[in-house]
Parts: sequence; C-alpha cells; structure tokens
Amino acid sequence: MSDQAARKPNDYKSSLKPVWCPGCGDFGVVAAIYRALAQLQLPQEKVAVLSGIGCSSRLPGYMATYGFNGVHGRALPVATGLKASRPDLTVIVAGGDGDGVSIGAGHFIHTARRNADITYVMMDNQIYGLTKGQVAPTTPTGDKTKSTLYGNPDPPIDPCELAIAAGATFVARTFSADMKGQVEILTQAIQHKGFSVVDTISPCVTFRGDDQYDFWKPKLRPLPEGYDPSSRAGAMRFCREEGVLTTGILFRDERPGLVEHQEQIRKSAGFNPASPPKIEDLVKGFYP
Amino acid sequence: MAVNDLVIGAVGRGGDGVILSGELLMASAASQGLYGYMVQSYGPQIRGGESSFRARFNKAQVSSPGDFLDLLVVFDWPAYKMFKQELRPKGGAFVLHDEDNPAPEGESAPGRLLAAPFAKLSKSSTGGLQGKNVVMLGVLCGLFGFDAEGVRAGIKKKFAKKGDEVLAKNLAAFEAGLSYGRSNATTETKNVRLDYVPGPPKLVLSGNEALALGALHAGCRFYAGYPITPSSEILEFMGKNMPRFGGSFIQAEDELASIGMVLGASFGGTKAMTATSGPGFSLMTEMVGLGSMMEIPAVIVDVQRTGPSTGIPTKSEQSDLWQAVFGTHGDAPRVVLAPSDVEDCFHAAVDAFNIAEEYQLPVVILSDQLLAQRKVTLPSLPLDKPVFNRRQPAEADLEGGYKRYRLDGPDGVSPMAVPGDARAIYQTTGLEHNEKGEPTSSFHLHEAMNEKRFKKLKAIAERYHYVRRYGPEGAEIGILAWGSSKGAIKEAVASANAKGLKVAAFIPELLYPFPKHELEAFIKPLKRIIVLELSYSAQFYKYLRTFLELPEERVLLKKRSGGEFLGVAEVESAIEEAFQ
Repeated sequence: MSDQAARKPNDYKSSLKPVWCPGCGDFGVVAAIYRALAQLQLPQEKVAVLSGIGCSSRLPGYMATYGFNGVHGRALPVATGLKASRPDLTVIVAGGDGDGVSIGAGHFIHTARRNADITYVMMDNQIYGLTKGQVAPTTPTGDKTKSTLYGNPDPPIDPCELAIAAGATFVARTFSADMKGQVEILTQAIQHKGFSVVDTISPCVTFRGDDQYDFWKPKLRPLPEGYDPSSRAGAMRFCREEGVLTTGILFRDERPGLVEHQEQIRKSAGFNPASPPKIEDLVKGFYP
Repeated sequence: MAVNDLVIGAVGRGGDGVILSGELLMASAASQGLYGYMVQSYGPQIRGGESSFRARFNKAQVSSPGDFLDLLVVFDWPAYKMFKQELRPKGGAFVLHDEDNPAPEGESAPGRLLAAPFAKLSKSSTGGLQGKNVVMLGVLCGLFGFDAEGVRAGIKKKFAKKGDEVLAKNLAAFEAGLSYGRSNATTETKNVRLDYVPGPPKLVLSGNEALALGALHAGCRFYAGYPITPSSEILEFMGKNMPRFGGSFIQAEDELASIGMVLGASFGGTKAMTATSGPGFSLMTEMVGLGSMMEIPAVIVDVQRTGPSTGIPTKSEQSDLWQAVFGTHGDAPRVVLAPSDVEDCFHAAVDAFNIAEEYQLPVVILSDQLLAQRKVTLPSLPLDKPVFNRRQPAEADLEGGYKRYRLDGPDGVSPMAVPGDARAIYQTTGLEHNEKGEPTSSFHLHEAMNEKRFKKLKAIAERYHYVRRYGPEGAEIGILAWGSSKGAIKEAVASANAKGLKVAAFIPELLYPFPKHELEAFIKPLKRIIVLELSYSAQFYKYLRTFLELPEERVLLKKRSGGEFLGVAEVESAIEEAFQ
C-alpha cells in the first residue's frame, strides 16, 4: 500500500473469520485495534502482533500485519526478543488474563520491569474460556466455576495493580463494548515509549453468563475530572475496587526501557556501526 | 634428560588461588607454542570447598588431561587425599608443599616430597599471604625450568587492571619464588624439564569460549540466557561481546523466557542463540516444539552435567542425549550436534547456525562440562568457515500470493519472510496450519506438514557427514562413542595400534539425524564393537539400536555414570577385554 492512500481499519483485517462465540467481547477488542492502527496510519508490514494461547490469543490470525501465535504464557518473552532486535517494529501482544497473570505471570513482571516498548492488550474475561469454564487468576473469590464447584477460595489478581507495582509505564483499564474509550487508550498505548498494559474487560458470554454486559455497564466509572496519572500511589486507589470498575489511563510515567538500554549498552561497549569490530580482533585477545 | 609429556596439578581450598596459577601456567605454555590441556575442578561450594587444576603439556597435540600426575602441588592435605591415587605410581611423582604446612602425621605420599617456603616468601615479598600461589609458580619455574617470561607476561595481563600496586606485589612474589627455586633445583628436578623448541604462540580457549566465538562468527546477533553451571561462561562472554558487535544481549528471567526471546528475535530475522544445561533445557523443550512447528531457526546449547535434577553440577555426564533428540511433545524434528573437542565447539556453533538458517528449525548443540570448561591451546581458529543465511522470498515465490509454508519447496524448505517486507506479510502459529499459515484441524494437512518438516532431516542427513574416525581401515575392534569421551579414546586407539591391536573409533558429531550409513559401513567388518558412554542407563547404546541391529553378542557395552571423566587406561582396558 502506498503512503498516499489512507489506511482504513479494514486494511488491518485478515480474511480469516474469528472462532469466537457470538457476543464475545474479543470482537470489540480486535475492532478497536484495527481502528487504532488506522488512526496511527502504521504500515501493516511494520506491525507485529503476538500472542500465547487462549480464545483471545487467536487474535494475531485476524490481523493483516505480521503475526505470531505461540505457546501458553510466553508471548511477552517472544515479543521482547523481537522488539530488542527490531526496534523499528511496532510490537503488540494480545492475550487473556490466564495467559498473562497465571502461567505467564513471571514474564509479565519482568517485561514491566524492563519497560520493554510493547503494547500489551489483555482481554480479561475472568474465566478460562478455551478449556470451557475453569477458574482464572482474575475470577472473584467465591465464584463457582467448573474447577471451583464449592466456590473460588482465592482472591483475584488485578492486572493493573500488578503492572503498576512491577514498573509498567502506561497502565489503563477499558471495556470491550466501549469502542471510543478503547481506541483512545490504544492509540496512546501504542504511541507510548515503554511497556503499556491495557486491561480490557472482555466478557465471556458462554462461561460467565449472557448477562455480562448488563452486569458490567452500571459498574463502569471514568477517572475523576483532572486526575493526575503520574502518581503510582494515586493509581493504586483505582485497583482492586469492589462494586465499581474505573476506566481510563490509571498510570503513566516515562523512563528509559529495553530499547534505550540496548542502545546505551552497545554504546558503552564501544560499538560503532560505521566500523563494526572484526572477529579476528576478538580472537587475538585469546593469545597470551 | 628431559620429558616429552608433563602433567602438573595443584590442589587446595577455594581462596588459595589454585585455578589462577593453572591459568598462568597455560598462558606460559601457549606463549611458548606448546600444546596444553587443563581441567579445573571445584567442589559444589562457591568458596572454601576443594579446588584443583590438572594441566598437561606437550610439544605435540594432546587430547586428554592424562591419567597420572608427574607433579602435584598441595596447599591443603585433606583435599590431597582425593588426588593421591592420581599420582604416577611407583614414586614417580613429585609432591610439593609449603614448608609451614607439612604432611599430617601418618599421611604417606607415594611420591618424592619437596617443601618450599611459599608463605614465608609471600610475606617477605608482598607483606601478606595472598601471593602464595604466585610464589609457588616462581618455585615451579625455578625448580623445573618452566618458562618464567611466559608466566611474567601472564601475570602482567591478569593483574594490569587491578592497579600498579597489586601488579608489582605479584611480580615480586613471583621473582622471590623463582630465585628460591633456581637455587634449590637439583638434578632430579631438572630431569622433568619438558623437551621442546619454542614456537609461535597459541590461543588459549575453553570449549564454551570457542562455541561463543563460533556463534559470533556465524552472525549470531541476539543472545538470551539464564545462568546455570557449566554453561554460564557462554552467557558472560555474550554479555560482554554481543553489544560490541552491535547485537542484543538479555539475561532472561528464566529458561522459558530465554528460548522465547530467541524465537522472537529469529522471527524478526536476527540469528539468535541461548545456552543452558540439562535442567534448563528441560524447561525449554515446550518451545523446541514451537520452533519446530513454526519452522524458526534457533540454536540451543545444552552443556551437560550429571543429573537428573541438580545432580553434580560441576561434573560431566552424557545423559541428556534422549532429551535433546526426543524431548518435547509431538513429532518435532530438530537437529542435534555433538562437538567432541574445543576446536569442534567452534565448528559446531557455525554449523548449527548454518543448518538452522538453511533448514529453518531448532538446532541443539550437546556439549558437556569437560568439553566446555576445559582449556586447551590451539594454533588458530578457522575464521574462513563459510556462513549461510535463511532464504527469503524471491519475486517468483510471491506469485499467487505468498505462502509461508508452501509444500513444494526443495527439501521441505519454504522461503521465510522477515517482518518489514510488505510483499510477504504472514501470521505464524503453533496450531497446525495450511500453506499460508492459517490454522487447520485437517488430518490431511497435518500429515502433509509433518512430511514437509521431516523432509528437512532427510536432506540434512544426506548433506552432512559429521563423523570423526580414528584408527586404521580393516580394524577388528571398533569403538562407538560421542562427545568429550573422544579425547581419551583417540589416545587409547593410538596406543593400542602401536601395540599391534587393530582398533578404530567412530565418533559421530551429528547425532540427529544420525549418519546411519556411515555407521553401518564402519561396523560391518568388525569382529567386536565397544560402546563407551557416561550414561548409567546407556542412552547412546539404546539410541543406536533404534535404527541399527547391534546384537549383544557382538557388543561390549562399557557404560557408567558421569561424575568422573573417561580415562585413557579405562579405554585401554576395554580394548584389551574386547580382544580376549
């Protein structure tokens, strides 16, 4: 596609038909990603969308960009390797809450700590959908699922709280049925230099009940007028809320991350692209 | 009188500086153009455990650390007990110790005891006891005539960064020891002088270093890894040198992330590698399956140690063979290379990248502790070794739309686009897929794609013939072995043939796909076959039997646990047994 012709949302859409159930929140998320990319006019070949395993992790197949649908919980390391070696690409990771904060929780923390310039869209449905209805790390305490017949004994993880604590520099919460809010947040998240986490409540109508939209809508609250997202402690007040769900950019910070660090390390090591070192010189150092 | 072969050891406790003194002797030998081979050993403790080195020197190339010590320096008598049986029998070895630290009551030394004032000279020359090991080197040079200038140069190189004062103290300690040694040398000590004519200096390299150099030469520009003994030297080398070469280095949070990052970087078009040991490789095996399914070039090094579990982390074993060849879910082709000496570690790294890039699959390099952490001297490295890159789509490959996994490519290989290429955008998946990379649950496509992926192994087996073979044609007895065991076997085969026993050895360096036809040709004329391996459950023997008849009546199976490396005498006795 030439640079003159404006890219439309549909230009980012592949020919594959999603496998998701009718009414799944993920349809809204992928549509929002198409729109955000079109708004930013990013060339398809310069975007890579990566995922792990889960219903939502099928998403890269629905993109007309480069895509990578890997193994459960490991999308972030794959994305880190790609971004570190190809900083010219826009790297987006899409996946579920189980992928991100259960099996992949260790990587989530370390990707945040490294502040890798990756946009992580977490489709948070509070259930394991692909395996048909077991408890997730985000399922509320007491909920009955196929694997917690007597009620979930454990408290849920709030992905935003975890992201803020671990050092992510852009943390937002949004809702899959709020197209305007999602596109606004996603465009900013993609533009943000550093690790951006977008926790997107994306209802699973099959295993959480078909009243999920009615359940969530009255609970949604925008951040208060004049909210300052630069305070970590302030952002924490909108995590682990009971009875409400605050949406918007909870936290935003700027600090050098993976890409800048790699550049800095190369500089410290004396790498000069104009005169790269020779292996012969390195071998010389092994003579006495 | 002089000797042709000299094996020197030192034993002490962590903090005695034993390993450093071994390194300085190696540097000295290398500066004289001598061949050297050094192994180091640490207890599992970080400090305070026993610590030792054994170094062998010769004007000709040696491929084992030698079975017996000619000279042992003792800093610690309790640790000495473990090395006593390695002294050359019949009182043929010197045992040198500090005169302030005599052999305990009742401790018999089967060699000739020599005492020297290490501590006293260290105090008088440096004001402290830290120079004991360098005094010792001076004494060795003085008594036994090792090249002092080479040691001096080594000290200068080693301590230059620590400042003038530290350097001056170490040089003073060395000179004090040297002058003591020279004035106390006897005809007896002078008789173990090594016979050689100095030649051009040689490289000093460990297997891990040679492997890392090979990777850089092959164009590896991304490394991710997690520390684990005995592979960490590769991680440290890459941490230092990868940025100097414009690449990326990341110490990952675990081995799952390491292999994930490698696949991500390689998907992006950058040659990438990780290194680990057995337990770390176990964590990586899920993504070996992913790399195989997605057909992504990747190089994974497994420096074996004894297992299972933590095992003995500082000692070699050959018990990761099955996990390297078979480890992962599903039918997942990969290539397994097994270098058998330090120079081959360089070759294996370049070959691994070449094969990974050309055939788009994971390549595992099976090294082991003895191979990885030994240091040897070498004349040079083959820096002219050719390097290959992956095939990217040409114009013709785009007709009718780009198909990442087209089935009609030569040898099952389909051109792989690199992100940024607007002509060939694709989405890859670990799900079974069609030629375009779109998910499928069709049996027929699964069968066709399996066939495509396995076709590559057939092509690799036909193209590459990595076998090291020793001994004469027409041998009666043949030895099958792999990896670091080669060194002892090579020497034992040479000595057996010198005695008139016709023995040959077959050391495959490509373990999967296996050079089956070469092996068949090798064993056909043999009367008996010896299989030698450091795996209690005989993984190598059983692996060979998966594609070859090896009748038990023709085979002498010599297998045992790792933890102690294969000795030349051990191989010789197996050969004698086979001839009986």
